[in-house]
Amino acid sequence: MYQEKEDYQSWICDKCQKELELSKVKVRYLEGEFEVELLNCPTCHQVFVNESLALGKMLEVEQGLEDK
Amino acid sequence: MNLDKLLETGDRCIFLEPPTCTANCPVHLEIIEFISEIEKGDFQKAYKLMEKKLPFHKIIGRICDHPCESVCVRNEAGGAISISELEKSVLEYGAAKPKKVWPVPKKKGKIAVVGSGLSGLTAAVDLDKKGYEIVLYEKTDRLGGRLWNHIGDSLKEKTLSEELKQVEDKGISIQFNRLIDENSLSDLLSEYDAVYLGASDWTAPLEIDKITFQVGELNLFAGGAMVTQNDSVIFSASSGRRAALSIERFLSKVSLTDSRDREGIFETPLKQDVSETDVLPKVEKQASVYSQEEAIQEAKRCIKCQCRKCMDGCNHLRKYDISPYAYIRQINHSERIILGTHYANKMINSCTECGLCQEECFLDISMKDVIQETRESMVERNKMPVSAHDFALKDMAFSNSSRFSLVRKQPSKEASKDLFYYPLISFSDYVKGLYHGTGKTEYLFYPGCQLPASYPDDIKGIYEYLVGHMKGDVGIYLGCCGAPADWAGRQDLMGENVAAIKKVWEEMERPTFILACSSCIRVFEKYLPEIKVRSLWDIYLEKGLPNKNWIKSPQTLSVHDACGTRENSELQESIRKIAESLGYTIEEMKYSKEKTKCCGYGGLVYYANREQADGFVAERIQESPHDILVYCTMCKDLFVSGGKRTYHLLDLIYPKDNEDGAVKKMPTLSERHQNRSLVKRSLLKEIWREDVDEPVPDDYQLVIPETVRQNMEDRYILLEDVQAVIKNAQEIRKRFYNPDSGDYLASLKIEHVTFWVQYAQEDDKFLIKSVYSHRMEIVEE
Repeated sequence: MYQEKEDYQSWICDKCQKELELSKVKVRYLEGEFEVELLNCPTCHQVFVNESLALGKMLEVEQGLEDK
Repeated sequence: MNLDKLLETGDRCIFLEPPTCTANCPVHLEIIEFISEIEKGDFQKAYKLMEKKLPFHKIIGRICDHPCESVCVRNEAGGAISISELEKSVLEYGAAKPKKVWPVPKKKGKIAVVGSGLSGLTAAVDLDKKGYEIVLYEKTDRLGGRLWNHIGDSLKEKTLSEELKQVEDKGISIQFNRLIDENSLSDLLSEYDAVYLGASDWTAPLEIDKITFQVGELNLFAGGAMVTQNDSVIFSASSGRRAALSIERFLSKVSLTDSRDREGIFETPLKQDVSETDVLPKVEKQASVYSQEEAIQEAKRCIKCQCRKCMDGCNHLRKYDISPYAYIRQINHSERIILGTHYANKMINSCTECGLCQEECFLDISMKDVIQETRESMVERNKMPVSAHDFALKDMAFSNSSRFSLVRKQPSKEASKDLFYYPLISFSDYVKGLYHGTGKTEYLFYPGCQLPASYPDDIKGIYEYLVGHMKGDVGIYLGCCGAPADWAGRQDLMGENVAAIKKVWEEMERPTFILACSSCIRVFEKYLPEIKVRSLWDIYLEKGLPNKNWIKSPQTLSVHDACGTRENSELQESIRKIAESLGYTIEEMKYSKEKTKCCGYGGLVYYANREQADGFVAERIQESPHDILVYCTMCKDLFVSGGKRTYHLLDLIYPKDNEDGAVKKMPTLSERHQNRSLVKRSLLKEIWREDVDEPVPDDYQLVIPETVRQNMEDRYILLEDVQAVIKNAQEIRKRFYNPDSGDYLASLKIEHVTFWVQYAQEDDKFLIKSVYSHRMEIVEE
């Protein structure tokens, strides 16, 4: 899972007013837990997921895990 | 799940069984494949199929007595396919040089073959190919025996000689002018490892096994006319081939009798229904052999027998191009996987469990039952994909929550005087009798969850009608019967739901349930057989329709029966009679009544595989040129969304002014919730005169463009989810901001789903730009 630069370049964290940065984030679904590089706020760490990631790669991984 | 029983069910499916022609061909030429190649004009490939299965195909192909033709099912529709003529044409147009075969070292044993007629030659060549050393004993000075009697228009002397010469070219040793009698036979039996006896004029009695062709316990095997007891060329060749197989097994010291039940001719379980097949006459040849074009035309007459009745009726089986036989094998595989991907999950969740396949199957194979059992097993083993049925189960929980669920007895006479007590009522819409409540709840109206969601304005009218027509009190019970849990394989939830319904039934002193939804009827039959039920539609028919003067312009309609009512012919008749009494003409579709199809909603396919549901809809709506009449709200919803003019029976019974019921777009998922709540509130207020809490107003005023609204439907996102996300974002400012566009992007995890909303704020309005969700949980630290 990764994000294209143009997908996020304009977004900032509204609370902290910080530009987003890529860093390792823990995600889990069913019995799967792994670390992926996702954009998040360097201060409050809220993680950014855009539509193409949610409905693309993320969904694919979810479905893959559901069929395990 | 009992997998042995499952596989037994699958093995009953005759999808892969051979057609009668192949079953009656003693050497089992794959006749459908053979004819299909001719049909494509590929005579070379057809030739290869002959070469593969027919011993001495250039001889047999010209003189075969074709037992296949007399059993061809085309006999009943224009005459059998001329398979023998097609073989001749293939030899004419598709012949190729035989493949160069490398001689196999002859190390496996030494076999004597007595008699060089067709059976002996077949046995000799088959065993030679397997690596046995063959010595052929022929009493005359030439090979072929009685084959020479067949020289004529088809089989020319030159062809026969050339074919026989190939036997010699193979290096098989031939002893001409050697007559074998009883004495010399016993010498051969001790000299050779095995002996094949194919002498048609053998007179000494032999005890020949009918399956293995072994003589007693000896190393002697017989074939040809001695075994077949006839002059058939093809039976003779087949006997030589079968004896050769016995000899090979005998010499390899393996069982002679294992799996030989389908040698020679056998009865195939395949049955082909030709009642709807067009009659086509045989193509007559204009010369001694079919021209290529004549052969192609004749090949086109072949029905290509295969039992596809269930697949013909089912969009799901056809989408996955799978027969019950193969389907069950995939389920078996999926059930046995411990580590690895369950590739069949999506398919298993794409069956509507409508039961048409069983109806079409003369072997009574029910994929509905197989799929239901499989889903229950998947749930038990924790292998059911959560996302497949999550929304439907949440919807069920909603309907059984205080936001919709309701149980009330009929109000007393005093409390409802102005509602039900009419001294003069001849012009009344719905009440034709005096108040005749008894104080005992004889009936409980249970409209289900989808009818109130789709027809919120009619529930009160229906209830009043029932009160006015039924002898005894009519109470009301709002809730969900549990059909979603049943379809999802959730026996745990189903058990709870059934217990809850039963409790109400007991508390109300066991009234008869009046059901309006075909899924409810199915669920009550399956899980609550002790509860007496009546269909609302049967009651309309018996007691008479309200609003008789409302009939608009009569037209012809096609009834789409709900799949849950497949076996309920009484109900199906009621629907038709109601429509007819309203002045409509009914034209039946091919698949109707007990053979009805599912609209695509059944089995929760609508949630688990939308593309599959769309497939069902698209197929069904083009099966009638007329407007469709349904009596299940989901059928209506799906057909209208597919673009088909569709009436629900309620549209005819309670028509609305200035509204074309056949195109009425059904409510969104959010509106369905709202409508159910509205029904509860208005019933409580208007019938029971109870104080009702008004719904909490929305926190934010949302502006949602149509495309976003459609996405919400497709992604199962409710307005209340969007409200919750925005509320959370506004309150704690946990959101992203895009300075270029001024948009916000916020998320909130509600139960197992994280919802995202991109929006812009203009004064007190929130313009929704996009909504999406994911189930993967982000662990924020």
